[in-house]
Amino acid sequence: MNIVIGLITGMIAGATPILLAALGGTLTFYAGIFNIAMEGMMLMAAFAAVLGSFLFHSWVVGVLFAIAGAMILALIFIFFSVTLDTDEFVTGIALNLFAVGSTTYLLRQIFKVKGVFTSKLIDSIPNIHIPLIEEIPLLGPVVSGRNLIVYLAVIATIFCYYLVFKTRFGLRLRAAGYNPNSLDSSGVRTSQMRIYSLLLCAVFCGLAGAFLSLGYVTLFAENMTAGRGWISLAAIILVDGHPYGIALISLLFGFFDGLGLFLQNYGVSSQFTSMVPYIATLVALYVYARRNRERERSTL
Amino acid sequence: MEDFISLEHIVKVYPPSLLAVDNVSVGFRKGEIHSIVGENGAGKSTLMKLLYGLIPFDSGTVKMNGAPVRFHKPGDAIAMGIGMVHQEIELIPQYTVWENVVLGAEPVRGLGGTLDTTGAIELVRRKIDEFQFNLDPSAQVERISVAARQKVEILKLLYRNVSVLILDEPTAVLTPQEIPQLFAELKRLREAGTTILFISHRLDEVLELSDRITVMRKGKKIATVAASDTDKGALAQMMVGRQVIFTSKRTPHRRGDCVFEAKGLCVARRDGLKLLDDVSFSVHAGEIVGIAGVEGNGQFELVNSIMGLRTPSSGSIKVNGREICGLPILERRRLISFVPQDRARMGASLAASILDNAIMTHHRLEPSFSAWRGLVLDYRHARAFTDELVRRFSVQASSRQSLFRSLSGGNQQKLILGREFLLSTPFFLMDQPTRGLDVGSSEYVHGEILSMREADRAVLLISADLEELFLIADRILVMHRGQIVADLTTERTTIQEVGRYMLEGKRTA
Repeated sequence: MNIVIGLITGMIAGATPILLAALGGTLTFYAGIFNIAMEGMMLMAAFAAVLGSFLFHSWVVGVLFAIAGAMILALIFIFFSVTLDTDEFVTGIALNLFAVGSTTYLLRQIFKVKGVFTSKLIDSIPNIHIPLIEEIPLLGPVVSGRNLIVYLAVIATIFCYYLVFKTRFGLRLRAAGYNPNSLDSSGVRTSQMRIYSLLLCAVFCGLAGAFLSLGYVTLFAENMTAGRGWISLAAIILVDGHPYGIALISLLFGFFDGLGLFLQNYGVSSQFTSMVPYIATLVALYVYARRNRERERSTL
Repeated sequence: MEDFISLEHIVKVYPPSLLAVDNVSVGFRKGEIHSIVGENGAGKSTLMKLLYGLIPFDSGTVKMNGAPVRFHKPGDAIAMGIGMVHQEIELIPQYTVWENVVLGAEPVRGLGGTLDTTGAIELVRRKIDEFQFNLDPSAQVERISVAARQKVEILKLLYRNVSVLILDEPTAVLTPQEIPQLFAELKRLREAGTTILFISHRLDEVLELSDRITVMRKGKKIATVAASDTDKGALAQMMVGRQVIFTSKRTPHRRGDCVFEAKGLCVARRDGLKLLDDVSFSVHAGEIVGIAGVEGNGQFELVNSIMGLRTPSSGSIKVNGREICGLPILERRRLISFVPQDRARMGASLAASILDNAIMTHHRLEPSFSAWRGLVLDYRHARAFTDELVRRFSVQASSRQSLFRSLSGGNQQKLILGREFLLSTPFFLMDQPTRGLDVGSSEYVHGEILSMREADRAVLLISADLEELFLIADRILVMHRGQIVADLTTERTTIQEVGRYMLEGKRTA
């Protein structure tokens, strides 16, 4: 029984950063930006979170730092790809590489360590215990006692859905992606919608990064996002950006992530188990492509 | 009657030295349908875009109700009640009709800008009813016809309370059946007090619809006349600057040997529906065979089968006695010159230079274009060839290296036509070669097709324009639901008879 609960909580923890980053990414996806910088934004945020929390001994400051860190990358992205109209893919790659390089550099300059930095002075984001629900067998230990950011991620999913599909902002946001000329000729500047989407993306990636370094674990390790930003991109593309679909896919990845850790206890080498989520991505892509091809064939 | 909007001495120069609008003064009255006609490149669209604030003009004044106004962006014009529907429909296909209409001016309720969906649908429905547009506000735009999409564009402007509608060649994208409906709606709008500025080069339409007509040529205004005081010939003469003949220029010509022969050609869809059903016909040397038919009755599949873009399920196609079904496309191109319907996508590469487009296909078929045993192109020869083509087919281009995209529609078509004409093939396949071209360019294309006939080449001409077929074709075949339902000699039939076959197919006894 404990194994099952362990697997489920592992799945939730694994899914949270992917879900948050993908929700941010999906806003830019709808706005018609090919944004691959979630990886970099998340990494920058993870570092900034540790820095803020370490300096001020407060996880709140840590989270704010994280959002600011991601925001810096978003502003650079906006400057290049919206203002200067450079290629989004190249800009994204550059930002991701910049994030790896700069966080590694700052880690060594500020904390004077290589590889991993941890300290008793870092205040981590608390877990939330829900009084009554906690008592319920099976459900209680799963629903209650999760990290604050996990609950935020659930709210964020619903928020994103509502924002994209039920509001004026969402109508304009999707219009920016579907047909920018039409939006412009309707009197709304497409570039403005894209800027908003990138700023929101930074907020979500900031939360995702803070969860990684102050929730999932309490430390910063070089390149600790380990491809989660890319997985989130895959999640967006697999479900055409639908927030609820993203939540489902994120849980799936989280499950394989957790499964990898679980298998390590049974003597499977960690190098092998860390491949599991990526193998799952390829399988998912294959299924997706097959399904699409069949759908096309049936409409012909 | 006082002018509601007047343009005074408007000048627009496209750098470096193209005078697009040359000192044009014209007035529009409230509640009239005013057409602006001219050949492609005459400056009629440019003039309207200047009025709409889409592009700035260099000198002149725009006055509304006698007061000077200046629009810096379309939003300014819309705020003053002037709206424009462009040639390319700019809607969001994934959105519903109402979503497209309200986009940018959405009704919201409560906090956070939540869309007032029911309110918006009601508002749009009321507008639809007011102008009798016959649209479903909740229909998805990608599922409605082009004509309906155009109505959505108009509705979008009416929703923003414009009183002046500028329509840039709205009929170019419509089928012949849809045009009268649009005209009825425009006339209803006029009755409601809307001023309509209608850009077109189709003279019949303009005469039918307008109250007054302004003719432009090469950036200049030639005249503004009342539609009741003029006719097609006079308008065409003002547009082109010389007399245009609307009667056949065909001279008797001896028919040669059979060049093209299709036998029992069938193309079936996956679900078994026959898109081409036992099609057999032949085209002889020195003969122009026209194919008439409402679009979507198998013409597309026929063209694709001939060119090798679709494999017929059965039947044979022979050119000069050689079976071409199964041949690679390049091999077919040795036998067939081809002017496709979609010049921008299939006929040429917009992003390539004029030279690149001129030598396409030639460079693969003719050894004289390559040097070093085919490893590189012989650019000296390619340049000479391009210059010759541009000269012979009088393509108006600034240089060989400029992009194909920069040419006007008529010149694009001339270049494609010239390239295909210079291929030494016995058979010529043309799919809607004059679609979207103005009177002068169409006349030129017709002349070239007739000269191919003189040169004893076999021409298959697919056209939705019956007048064109009667002008130059020797025989007219009518396609209906994938079948050839009639094989008529042009001299012994009438437009009415062909039209009946197009709509009803084979007469049932």
